[in-house]
Amino acid sequence: MAALRLFSRCLALKKYDSLPNIAPVSIIFNRTLKYLPKEYNETDPAPLFFNGEIQSLLKTLTRVNLNKVYRRRKLGQKKLDLPTYKFVTDEQLQEMMKDAEVKADELLQMPPVLKIRGVRDRVLSRDPALQGYDAATYIFTDITFGIKNIDRIIIAREPDGTLREADWPLRDRMNQVYFPLPGRELKPPLMFQDNYLEKLLTRKEYEFILDRSCIQFEPDDLDYQRVTTITYQHVNDNNDFEILRSTRHFGPLAFFLLWHKEIDNLLLDLIQSSQIQEANVLLQLYEKFHKVELNVTGLQNTEALEKYIKEFSNKRGSLELAVQAYKELEEEKKQMERDLKHVHGVA
Amino acid sequence: MLSPASGTGRFYRKSAKIIRFARHGCANRPFFHIVVTERRRTQKMPVIEQLGTFDPLENEHNEKLVSLNLERIIYWMGCGAHISRPVDQLFGLSGLLPIHPTLYMTAWRNRKEIENQAKEENNESATKT
Repeated sequence: MAALRLFSRCLALKKYDSLPNIAPVSIIFNRTLKYLPKEYNETDPAPLFFNGEIQSLLKTLTRVNLNKVYRRRKLGQKKLDLPTYKFVTDEQLQEMMKDAEVKADELLQMPPVLKIRGVRDRVLSRDPALQGYDAATYIFTDITFGIKNIDRIIIAREPDGTLREADWPLRDRMNQVYFPLPGRELKPPLMFQDNYLEKLLTRKEYEFILDRSCIQFEPDDLDYQRVTTITYQHVNDNNDFEILRSTRHFGPLAFFLLWHKEIDNLLLDLIQSSQIQEANVLLQLYEKFHKVELNVTGLQNTEALEKYIKEFSNKRGSLELAVQAYKELEEEKKQMERDLKHVHGVA
Repeated sequence: MLSPASGTGRFYRKSAKIIRFARHGCANRPFFHIVVTERRRTQKMPVIEQLGTFDPLENEHNEKLVSLNLERIIYWMGCGAHISRPVDQLFGLSGLLPIHPTLYMTAWRNRKEIENQAKEENNESATKT
């Protein structure tokens, strides 16, 4: 799989070569995904992501809608309890709503954004005299009670007598063998392979992909970041932000777009739906990510927005038009309010 | 019913204990528990405690899986439990104990056999031509 990815990457580089033997190769290229994964592999995004202020701003962008959080879900075989109906006073109802909000907060906890984990290849000892003892690799897993999966000792004795630390895929496999997590499979499901993933993406099953990759992989796994970043790029290109809104994946999506300076589509979406406050929140985040001055003063102003469009945006035309339309709409609303007041004889 | 890993075997405080395999597979499918039990007990009798597992058949990645409860193994070794040879060999491979001499012997014999086979093949091909 990794080899295939590498291959397609090489192809992406070679695509415009004028070599005569490129023709059969380009057929293979057409069958793979058009997006390349963009992992967090250089600087560590974790300090930025776990910053309390940034977390709360990302949550604002998520726009919590309780109806969507508590929507009907596909739960497979799991049977739901029958609903209970109660007569309650107003106070009790308020309390229940508060409880629901707290629970929604838990349900909307964002999957962490981390740097890709480093390689694990420490060799503990070499013993060439053991060569020929067995053709198989012996994997030793420490199953002592109460150890976390991440701290567990897992080592391998190779047929050539080397005793080495297990690499990440092997560790994941062994942890799943001896301490299975519900929902996670021993082999990654086929849906995460490029050709199947593409079908899911065209069907816009983003939530399914992201939920399942959360269960299947660790957040600092290369595969997790490959699947999620490809999905985020697809969402961004097709303007499908509404599908992910009010889910736990909107924060990481926004984080990804901010990190790679690709917020224009999201900004356009926000302006067109008259969510100028959220647009300003997005710009505040942009300031913090890239250490630039946009002077976001009020959440209802469009000044910072105009400054951003002038200096940093790649889609200046459409964004300017959207801002103009928004301003006209606001003006119209104000005018109508004034007229109404006049008619009612208030002003 | 399966007994819990903490075991149901009765034992005397000063009796000789041993860490050894107990076969738990079925016909043609060996699978071993690494257990600590009294030396004089037979393989199928209740054990004091299970300390790990060993799957002697390779999986699709050509790996043999061993799990060891290191904390309890070290405890029972500290109590003076004996260790059977196959288990000692495994502990040696895992790096917990020094490598058992028989491992080196088998490895050397296997290598030698391969060498001899290669030599014979060479001779055969030489005589044919």
